[in-house]
Amino acid sequence: MELVLFNLANGLIVGAFYVLMALGLSLIINLSNVVNFAHGNFLAIGGYLAFTLTPYIGFWGALLVSPLLTAVFGYFIEQVLIRHVYARNHIYSLLLTFGLGFILQDVCRFIWGPSPLPLGIPDILSLPITEELFFITWYRVFMVAVVIVAVSGLFAFLRFTRVGMRIRAGTLDLDTVSALGVNVAALRSYNFAVGSFLAGLAGVLAAGQIGLNPNMGDDLIMPSFIAIIVGGVGSLTGTLLGGLLIGVAAALTTVFYPAGAEAVIYVIMAIVLLIRPRGLLGEEGMLT
Amino acid sequence: MSQLIGTGHTRRRGLLQATAAIGGLQLASPFIIKARGETPVKIGFIDPITGSLSALAVTEVESAKWTVEQMNKNGGILGRPVELLIEDSANDTGTGVQKAHKLIERDNVDMILGDVNSGIAYAIMGVTAEKRVFHIVPGGHTDPITGKDCKWNTFRTCNTTAMDAAAMTKTLVSKFGKKWFFVTPDYAYGQTLQANFVRNLEALGGTWQGDMLPIANSDFSATLIKAKGYKPDVLLNLMGGSAQINCMKQFIQFGLNKQMALGGALYEIESVRSVPKEAQSGWFAMEWYWNQPSVPAVKKFVDAISPVLGGKMPTARHWMAYVSLHAARLAAEKAKSLDAVKMAHALEDLELPPEVSLMPGKVRYRAGDHQLMSDIYVGEMHPPGPGGADDLFTIGQTVTGEDAAGPAEATGCKIAWPA
Repeated sequence: MELVLFNLANGLIVGAFYVLMALGLSLIINLSNVVNFAHGNFLAIGGYLAFTLTPYIGFWGALLVSPLLTAVFGYFIEQVLIRHVYARNHIYSLLLTFGLGFILQDVCRFIWGPSPLPLGIPDILSLPITEELFFITWYRVFMVAVVIVAVSGLFAFLRFTRVGMRIRAGTLDLDTVSALGVNVAALRSYNFAVGSFLAGLAGVLAAGQIGLNPNMGDDLIMPSFIAIIVGGVGSLTGTLLGGLLIGVAAALTTVFYPAGAEAVIYVIMAIVLLIRPRGLLGEEGMLT
Repeated sequence: MSQLIGTGHTRRRGLLQATAAIGGLQLASPFIIKARGETPVKIGFIDPITGSLSALAVTEVESAKWTVEQMNKNGGILGRPVELLIEDSANDTGTGVQKAHKLIERDNVDMILGDVNSGIAYAIMGVTAEKRVFHIVPGGHTDPITGKDCKWNTFRTCNTTAMDAAAMTKTLVSKFGKKWFFVTPDYAYGQTLQANFVRNLEALGGTWQGDMLPIANSDFSATLIKAKGYKPDVLLNLMGGSAQINCMKQFIQFGLNKQMALGGALYEIESVRSVPKEAQSGWFAMEWYWNQPSVPAVKKFVDAISPVLGGKMPTARHWMAYVSLHAARLAAEKAKSLDAVKMAHALEDLELPPEVSLMPGKVRYRAGDHQLMSDIYVGEMHPPGPGGADDLFTIGQTVTGEDAAGPAEATGCKIAWPA
């Protein structure tokens, strides 16, 4: 029983990380209708930028600056590439972002090399919080705290800022938002930048936990998609729930059948799609 | 405009279609290194340049490029220049098999080398045997490749998992005890490696527990919680590549290094370089090591290749690609032909010269199973020593390949030659 409780707590921590990844992805899908397969590579860019910046501005500085730089990079990519496929069929954005992912992966490999790299974190964060709870390091606690702050900030941004409210409205009915004089092109650009910011933030946090390698985004992108599908496309709250659910499910499966830890999240997705195809909290076009 | 935006329904469908379709798009363009010459000898080299084993694969490819360059400066193979065609298997079996077909059927390669991933190497064997193409596996360890499923055309340079387990078991038992916990990747390599360790351990009266995890697993906390509860004498980290690195980091972060010893089969230099100093520890097998003062050819090799590696020392993966390519050259030269059957016969029991084997003992691909009988170095990992940043391993004992492998007949290999 103790083992199950330990893993339940651990699953919530892992799930919180999936949430951060998936929320950025979800934002972009919801407003721009682009399935961004390069999202994991934006995560890697964020992590590698932190690796480069850390010797100059330290871990804490890199934690603030790297996501911002990733957001700027995302904004640039949206301006140069992504916006040209909004008016086209899904397959165009799929192929574009899929190819972009390969390019970004090779860029990382070219600049930083193929070998895994460690991102140094402050020593205090490396320690377990207690001897009993040895599997919860301060870094994991810190990750969860950052996720809580980021998610709260995102929801506040969407609810209380002018741009945020326009993004929510655009998700529901972009035609009307456009007819009211809102610059939809700019709105999508800002939205893509916010999504990239969250990917960059997730990248720095992931790098501190599992280190860096050019493929790191590939391993994390699928749980993000699944979190969105399980939670319900169009619902950020659903994405939140979906991320936590698959994190816990994977951790608990490890207790009883470790080889199935990866497969179980796909099984959950299949069950949700069979029983409730719109996802747990999915409402058509709703950003809640 | 609403058509452009799509409803929630179309978004869901699009997302699902995209997620499903992406699996079919895993084939990237080939990366081809061409040498100059009229009728080159074409060598196809398949490795997972992307994916969780990429650091190991990139090292092999790096060495293969350098070796071919040196080979071409010295007359190539049979007086013809060598052309290296490199393909990325992306750590995916289907992709690896497809790349093998492409290299053989479209590029008409004379021989194939690959793959780091045991499962992919095993699958490629089926293609090369069917197409009657000479094949060397530089770095895929699972036993059936030179065991029960061995083929007349396939040779292997790295050790079998049985050899590594045999070399390590007694050391780990005598140093730490007989209660073990395994952290193992759930694919061909991990399954056979753990099975061999378990067989050896149980023969000595030991007990064990363990988890088999996905090959690219990144979070080991659940498994390490179990390990702590089991209170083993030693934790065997059998994962590979970035997964092994993450497991090592979390093992240290959770303070488990104060409660149990660390060991396993392979802990490759590429991985050791990437972990904190505290995790640069434990007892492992090294299939080749750059610091062998008793073997003059090793120093010559290290001095030649090190500048190309930016001053770093070559690793066992560099050695695997180097030996495999030179073995192919020696086989062709002995057979005076690129015919796969003639080359395979020629390479059997051919003793590799010291400048190729880079080892103290007599090294050959034995006829019974086509497995390279190379020395295995059992020793201890440590943070960088006085020899520099790559002085990470101290050899404790050298086990000969013959001793670790046992007789060829015991592997279950029965080589059937084509009519």
